[in-house]
Amino acid sequence: MHPILKDFLDKWLYPTDFTGPGVEFRLRQTERCLRLWDKLVIQAIRSADKDLQSGSDEYKAVRARAGYAAEGPFMSLKQMSTQILSVEIDEQPKYIDLQRMRARQIWDEVKHGQLHADVLLRGGFIKREEELMDDPRANTQPRLSYFGLTAMFPHIHPLARAAQHYYTESMACLGIAATLSVIDDDLVRHQLHSQSAEEMMHFMEGKYQIDAYALTPEDQKPIEEVFDFLLRPWASEPSRALGGSR
Amino acid sequence: MPGLKIAHDKCTECRMCYVVCREININAVVVSPTSQHLLEIDDRCTYPKCTVCLMYCPAEGSIVEADTGRSLVPPPPEVWTENRRWPRLP
Repeated sequence: MHPILKDFLDKWLYPTDFTGPGVEFRLRQTERCLRLWDKLVIQAIRSADKDLQSGSDEYKAVRARAGYAAEGPFMSLKQMSTQILSVEIDEQPKYIDLQRMRARQIWDEVKHGQLHADVLLRGGFIKREEELMDDPRANTQPRLSYFGLTAMFPHIHPLARAAQHYYTESMACLGIAATLSVIDDDLVRHQLHSQSAEEMMHFMEGKYQIDAYALTPEDQKPIEEVFDFLLRPWASEPSRALGGSR
Repeated sequence: MPGLKIAHDKCTECRMCYVVCREININAVVVSPTSQHLLEIDDRCTYPKCTVCLMYCPAEGSIVEADTGRSLVPPPPEVWTENRRWPRLP
């Protein structure tokens, strides 16, 4: 196991103050994730090394445009706004905190667009953010969630999103930590540090939702189904901005 | 005086501490009546008996021991021992 992953697990994932079926379920799912998390860390380091060795600043723009496409306003507003609707009115007393967390995440995810646009603006790659609206590189991304199933998960069950929080947001944390271990550019590091703070919060949302709410087989089933989906090789790769190869 | 304190230069105001503290019905994390609505920890905090907020806080260094100023995020192993855990049952 790569030391970056081990550090993440020991500091953020394993500490818990609950016991019960939710925690047990989370730790079982964690075992399923470890191999792909480890692979991501190695891949992100390799990708960052390759960018540095290119001898050009173009990698900053490539990463920022990919990040803008994968995490910017188009993608994020659509996905998060559908997911906040997953809680029916009669379920609100039970899941009101979950809704508040998602409402906050709408703002967080849109902020990604600004972080990546900031790299492009400060780096002199664009003069105005509006230029990105006409640039396919800032709008095209390979994730299925853009049109597909991950945006629809919350319509299955209010807790389904917890798997995406737990698995995918931890990938973001790990990809950022791995990239920060290699890239020394101040502009890129500033963007990654800013993003890291919120990715960690989103991971904690998943950890908390599973520990505190996923207490019965009925509540665990929709979460496990999302893990099943996310852990398939064709759906697991993060964006180029976080160390993915595409 | 509460056992824990929020370090506002590190806290991102994500509210996870508020949510988990309320979930176990201690309610020691409150929104301060100031223009910034910062989160604070009041006298209802039972630390070191309870350490649940530390396990879900995502911002390094943002919850500290009030007496010593020692950072408890990420939580050191000695604060999440088995005997302090809250059972979550269906």
